[in-house]
This record gives sequence, C-alpha cells and structure tokens, in this order.
Amino acid sequence: MSEKKKKVSRREFLKLSGIAGGAAALAACAPAAPQAPAEQPAEQPAEQPTQAPAVVGKPFAGKTLRMHAISGANYDELYKLIPAWEEKTGAKVEFVFKGNGFETDKRLVQDFAAGTVDYDVCWDHSSFFSQYVKAGGLEPLDNYFSEEELADFIPSLLDATRKDGHLWVIPRHFDISCLHYRTDIGIEKPPETWDEFKQMAIDITKNNPGIFGTQFAGKEEALTGRWYEIQTAEGGELFNEKWEPIFNGPAAVKAATMLAELYQAGAMPPDMTNYLWEDVATQWVNGIIGMYTEWYGWYSFFQDPNSSKVAGKFDLARQPKGDAGIHSGWAGHHGFSITKASKEKEMAADLIKWLTSPDGNRLEAKLGFLVSRQSVWDEIIAEAEGSDDPLAKKRLELALLQAREDFKTPPLIAEWIPMSNIVYPILQQIMLGDKEPQAGLDEAVEKTYELMKEAGYYG
Amino acid sequence: MTTRPLAQEAVASRRRWRISLSERHLPFILLLPSVIIMLLVIGFPMLYSLYLSLTSYTLTTAQNYDFIGLKNYATLLFDDPLFWASFGRTVLFITLAVNIEFLLGLGIAHLIARAIRGQSVARTLIMMPMMFAPILVGFQFKWFFNAQVGLVNNILYAITGEPHFIPWLIDKPLGFISILIAEIWMSTPFMVVILEAGILSLPQEPFEAAEVDGASGWQKFRHLTLPMLLPFIYTAMAIRSLDIARAYDVVQIMTGGGPANRTELIWTYVNRLAFTGQQFAVGAAMSYITVIFSWIFTWWFFYNVIKSRWAGGQS
Repeated sequence: MSEKKKKVSRREFLKLSGIAGGAAALAACAPAAPQAPAEQPAEQPAEQPTQAPAVVGKPFAGKTLRMHAISGANYDELYKLIPAWEEKTGAKVEFVFKGNGFETDKRLVQDFAAGTVDYDVCWDHSSFFSQYVKAGGLEPLDNYFSEEELADFIPSLLDATRKDGHLWVIPRHFDISCLHYRTDIGIEKPPETWDEFKQMAIDITKNNPGIFGTQFAGKEEALTGRWYEIQTAEGGELFNEKWEPIFNGPAAVKAATMLAELYQAGAMPPDMTNYLWEDVATQWVNGIIGMYTEWYGWYSFFQDPNSSKVAGKFDLARQPKGDAGIHSGWAGHHGFSITKASKEKEMAADLIKWLTSPDGNRLEAKLGFLVSRQSVWDEIIAEAEGSDDPLAKKRLELALLQAREDFKTPPLIAEWIPMSNIVYPILQQIMLGDKEPQAGLDEAVEKTYELMKEAGYYG
Repeated sequence: MTTRPLAQEAVASRRRWRISLSERHLPFILLLPSVIIMLLVIGFPMLYSLYLSLTSYTLTTAQNYDFIGLKNYATLLFDDPLFWASFGRTVLFITLAVNIEFLLGLGIAHLIARAIRGQSVARTLIMMPMMFAPILVGFQFKWFFNAQVGLVNNILYAITGEPHFIPWLIDKPLGFISILIAEIWMSTPFMVVILEAGILSLPQEPFEAAEVDGASGWQKFRHLTLPMLLPFIYTAMAIRSLDIARAYDVVQIMTGGGPANRTELIWTYVNRLAFTGQQFAVGAAMSYITVIFSWIFTWWFFYNVIKSRWAGGQS
C-alpha cells in the first residue's frame, strides 16, 4: 500500500465524517418515525415490575406508583393525603413531574406524542383531555370505578369528560365563570341578559370617571372561551353534528359585535386585548372595573383587603342569559386520569379514589376550591351559614347551581386549542375595528374547516 | 547479511508510518468527537425538522407522519397572507432597528471617544442594557407602555395635567414602535462598543493632515472617519441584522405578536402556529423558509460589503 493511499485528505475526512454523521442521524431518525409505543406496554400482560411479597391488608406493598402532577398555588395541598394512602396500601408514590397547568399539559401532549410515558397517574383537565384521548394516551376509567363509586360526583362534571362512550377523568375540583359586580358604585341589580350587560357597562363608564364598565381577558383561549360562552347563550353552536364549524351565524356575530361595541365605546380598558387572567384580576382589585365575568377561584384574593380595593364591595351573580334563554357558563374541571402505559392500573385507580374521596374534597374545599362531590357541597354550604363573610353561603349555592345547570365545556375535541389559535386573533381584529364581525367570523370558519379537514374529521 | 538492514528498514518504515499517521491524522481524530456531537446536536434536529416539514405532523395527530412533499411550503408561500405580513414586518423591523441603532451607536461612540474624562464610566453605563436578559427587557417595557399604570402615560399626565390612556401596545403604529424602542434600547450599546473600538483604532496621521489642510469637522467625518470605519460598521450591522431577524423574546413578552397580529414577527408567528396551534410541520416549514431567506440576505449583504470595499479601494 503506498504512502499516498494511507493519507486521508481533509476533504476525504469531512466526506467520511459527513457520511458517518448522516448515517448516525438517519439511524437516530429511524426509531423516531411513526410510532405508538405509549400504547404498546398496555397491551401486554401486566409485568408487575415492582412486585414484592404482598403484606396482609396492604394490597400494593412494595410497589411504586409514578405520578405526573400539577403543582403551584394550592394544588399541592391535596398531595398531603398521599402518605396516608402509602401507609394503607404499602405502595410508594413517586412524582415524575410537577408544574403549572400549561406546563403539565405541554409535557403530557409531548409525552403522549413521543410515546415516552412512564407514569401511571396524570393530572388532567376537561379542556385538555381530548387531546390525550386522541393521542391514545389514556385508559378508559369505566372498569375501575363502579356506578356506586361515581354516584356522589356532580353529574355534569363526569359528563364533561365522557367521550366516545367512556369516562376518562375523575374530577377533583372545578371552576365556572360567574358575574362579579361592584355594589359601591350604584349597581343595584346585576344584568340578566347580555344586552343589559352591554348597556350597563356603557352606563357605568359614563357615570363613573376612572372606572371602565367591564373587561374580558383579551387574547388566546381566554378570549375565545369568553366569546364562546356568550354566543352559546345567544343560541349559537360552534360545530354541527358532522363537526363542521358553523360559528358565523347570527348568534356568534352578535357576540362578537357586542365585544367590539363595548371596546369601541371605551367601556373596556384600551389595552384589554393584551390581558390574560392575572391582568383582568389585577384590574379588578385595583378598583377600576365595574363588573365582569370571572372564575370563582380568585374569590379569596378579591376579598383580601390587603390585596384588593374592592374587598367587601362586590357581589356575585349567575352569568347573563342570551336570546336563547341560556345562561353562559364556561366551565372546566381538574382531575386525574390513568395512562394507557401504566402497568399498575388498579393501583392507579386506588390512588385516584383516595385523592377524590370526601376527605380529599373537604381538604380542597377549605382552600376555597369548588369541589366535585355533592355530599361535601352539602356539608360546606351548611357550614357557611355561620360564616362572617356575607357572600360565603351565596357564593357556594350559586356555584353549585351553575355547576348543575350552566356547566359548559369547550367542545371535547383535541383541536379546541388550535381552533382557538385561529379564532382569537380574528376576534381581536373585530374588536379593534380591523374587520367586520361577519367577515371575520366567515374567515375563522373557513380556516377552522381546513383545520378539521386536515385532522381527518371529514373522511 | 541482508536481514538486519531489512528489519531495520521495516521498523523505520513502521515508525515513519506511525509518525505520519499521528501527525497527519491526530488533529482529525481529536476533532472527530466534536464533529459527531455537532452532527447529533445540530445536524440531527435540522434533518428531523426538515423531514417534519414535509409531513402532515401535528401534536394532536402525533402518529400521523404522512409524507406530503412541499405542500406546507406551498401553503405558506402562496396561501397565507399572514406569513407574508409577518415576514414584511420583520424586514421593516430589522431595517429600522439596525439603522437607528447604527446612527445612535455612531453618535454615542463618537461622544465617548472624544470624552477627555470619564470614558470608562460612560462606557460601563452605556453597556448596562446589554446586561439585562431580553425577557426582563420585555417585561420592563410592557410596564412602561401600559395604558393605565405605565410610566409613559404617567409622564404625559405629569407634563400635561390631563390623564392619558394611550394604548401604546395596542394601537396599530404605536405597538410596532413600542417594540422597536425596546429592541433599540436593548441593543444600541452593542453598536456603541463595536464602533467605539473602530474609532479608537483609526490612525491619527490622516486626521492631522486634514487638519493642516483646513478640513472641517464634517469633511473629516465624511471623507476619513466613515470610510475607514466601514469594516466595523458592516460587521456590526451584519451581526445585528441576523440577531434582530431572530427577534422573539422581547416581542413575545410585550405583545405576543398581537393584538390582531399587529406586531406579529416571523418567529412569534412560528411559535403561535407550531406550539400554541400545534401545527408542528407547518411551523418547521416556516422556519426553513425563514432560514433560507436569512442565508440569501447574508450572502447578499456580504456580497455588497465586499463590492463596496473593493469599489472604495479603487476610488
């Protein structure tokens, strides 16, 4: 072999490196291509990877349950019940992830898409679970929870996460939008219809310098959801039975027009289209909003005189009705699901039963959450009779009434957030006067139709 | 008789071969791990996202990797006015930001370079905006421009005595101007640093000769400083152009590209489409289109830099 042949020039080296790297990249690509490994383990017989000799009375002794959970605010308080469950069952709970709702959702979507689920129980939400179901990530819960065990849960909460004939989430607590209005600026009676709401908001602005009649969270899903609940009250539907978008009818146009008229009349803060949940709550506690629809979950913050200028100066009311005689009531609930990849589904169900038990509900009710069991509602309403807070009992009774009669989730489809991503910039354009309501919603419907078509809804 | 020399020759040959191998190949062997890591860390994600951009993949249909060729690219290029609006807005943003930063940077650099005392203090102060994370700059300017409690409207109130609720981040031209101001505030110091270094490195003889010839300050600037500073100017502008082309964090915090897409730049649109809208494949296609345009721009820019320098040398 000659000396010349032994030499490797830079060009050859780079060529070889390129080929080697390319091969490595292709090799790395290969397993990442079409896959559904998340579903595979579930099909196999339970491997009992953490099997250990069962101790009498401790059915899951020696086993480990892995959990993907929401965290922050008061969410973690419920997990204080876990040591008692571990003591009862002999199992151990290991948290593989903790984050806020949006982080948790993002991780779940990615895990289910990539098939990298290695946990048994996950946090879930009525607005998000459809994506996980579509990705094949969740186990139907029908076989793990008997009718008797489910009987105490508020039926509308369970119905909100029934899809394709199965139950997917066990509710932990819920929230629903509720009208908050100031009693210190002369609002004697809350509006009963959205038409009244609009007129009152304009009047409040006119008669109270420095106060805006109302506000809405003005972007992302927050805006789409508010418009959705108004147009539902006006008799509109987002989709027909074939999942074709139909939200460019009179009801939807009326709802969008109302938002635009309120904004253009100066009855809402000028930079409202840049607000999300925290921003509207801040505006409210700063005392510059007359009335608006808000979640019950902020109540203790609003009634704290240290953080709120409106503490003790507001009242609550059922959401206004629309032309269809329907009360608005955008709602959602947090809960728990079992992953399809779990090898310990019975154990996972047992932990969920423990966390959503009356004890779990009582613990969360004390933190101000609207809990999921009727029996616990009866207890806390009875206790609220003696409260110093004049709104305590009314708030609970109103929330329960709304949960029973007005509870409306967004459509239970995985495309809700992508659809919202189409709709909300167009709603903003309508509000800011860049587009006419009808033309804007026609465009949104057209784009949503394409989205649904791409997602395979029309065969 | 002949075996020993032959054996010695063989040993010597092997040694030469080893030396040759080590001398010639060692650098490549040492580089190999880095090359492999770079290929895996940079090459693989790029190839994978290129592959994704040719499929119908979304996060809601995660198992659907149907190959659809250039459909996503065609949709964006021929059927998405928002893409072109965002693209055009990004080009305008780059043009305005880079030129304003350049003018401000040149002025400040001159002032600092001419200062007799306090140069280092001035330099430190001027560099302070560079010490903030872009995300914090975004929050800071979001508060400055808040309609109700923002600093700007409060200053106007203090001056005029009348309350102002100017929606800086909402109004059509004001929203764009607000994010432009934040970007300029954050990045002008970079221009100052580069241009001041250039000014301080200029030879003094031509200026002394011009002084003797009675040249005015403007003439010295126009005919001496500016031509000699061109390499620094081009370098600073090229770096900033590519940097602003990636503008995301400040804009995302201040306006999120909204409202009503009024401040949508290309990367906020990619984020909204790919992550919020879960249209991963379309987002990947848009990223590739943007990167290709950036390559073309970079080539065009440097082509013109070299051309102008060559032309300058000839004149």
